[in-house]
Amino acid sequence: MRAEALKGHLDGLLLAALEDGPRHGYAVKEALREATEGRIDLPTGTIYPALHRLERAGLIAGDWSVVGGRRRRTYELTAAGRTVLSRERTGWQEFATAITAALGTRSWPATS
Amino acid sequence: MAGHELIAAQLAILAARLPAEAVEELADGLHEAYADQLRRHGDPDVAARATIAEFGDADTITAAFVRVSPWRRTALMLLATGPIMAALWAATLITGQAWAWPLPTPVKVLYGVALLTVVGLLLAAALRPRVHRRTRLTVIAGALGLILLDGLMMTTALHFSTGPVWPLAAAVPASLIRLLAVVRALPPMLAA
Repeated sequence: MRAEALKGHLDGLLLAALEDGPRHGYAVKEALREATEGRIDLPTGTIYPALHRLERAGLIAGDWSVVGGRRRRTYELTAAGRTVLSRERTGWQEFATAITAALGTRSWPATS
Repeated sequence: MAGHELIAAQLAILAARLPAEAVEELADGLHEAYADQLRRHGDPDVAARATIAEFGDADTITAAFVRVSPWRRTALMLLATGPIMAALWAATLITGQAWAWPLPTPVKVLYGVALLTVVGLLLAAALRPRVHRRTRLTVIAGALGLILLDGLMMTTALHFSTGPVWPLAAAVPASLIRLLAVVRALPPMLAA
């Protein structure tokens, strides 16, 4: 799936990837890939700026630790992040229901 | 650091462009990705190439950081509101007969040059998506310059203008709002 197709949904996807607990950037990307069975496999390097943006917005909180001699930044959802995730989920379900209904039941008129 | 020269080279490019903490975070991610690819492929060269492909090249990563940076948003905001501010101040200067204000010509020229420099800095920052660290400093310098120039213009116009009040009544609050917006944007820009 191309990155442009995810426009508007990336924040929700990243928040969902952190719902089960704290993760570092690469683990977030892997969680996203596994949850979508490989259909969403974004360039890993672009995940980090998106996480920084969510952190500045107060939706996730980052924390440094040392793992295997390397500094690692791990992120977790904040209360505001959980609220936004819940809103994203509801919005997506309504959108998907509407589109599924429209695509699945209506026969489109011929154009010529 | 991840253990392959391709990964090290990628990190060296990123280190020249991005803040140190972002590079540290990317280094950790690259190491994890490389270890993962090494388990899959077994061959270090293949694993390193696959890691770079998986991560995206340095240009893609830098552009992604620039897109979400608070200073780029500030630069775009200042450039977008620039024409309105210019129109408001032009009206103030023309109706207030600024050419007759008792200011030495070199001071007026210097102000004009400084204003053009600030606009040039902000334009350069908005149009360079691949140079994160230098561009951040450029925007901060431009924003601080604009605060100074706005302050000078307001003080001078309030002191010397002899024209109608309405252009000043529109230009001064507009400049104050811009000044406050820049002051509010500075802490996240300095921290980014």
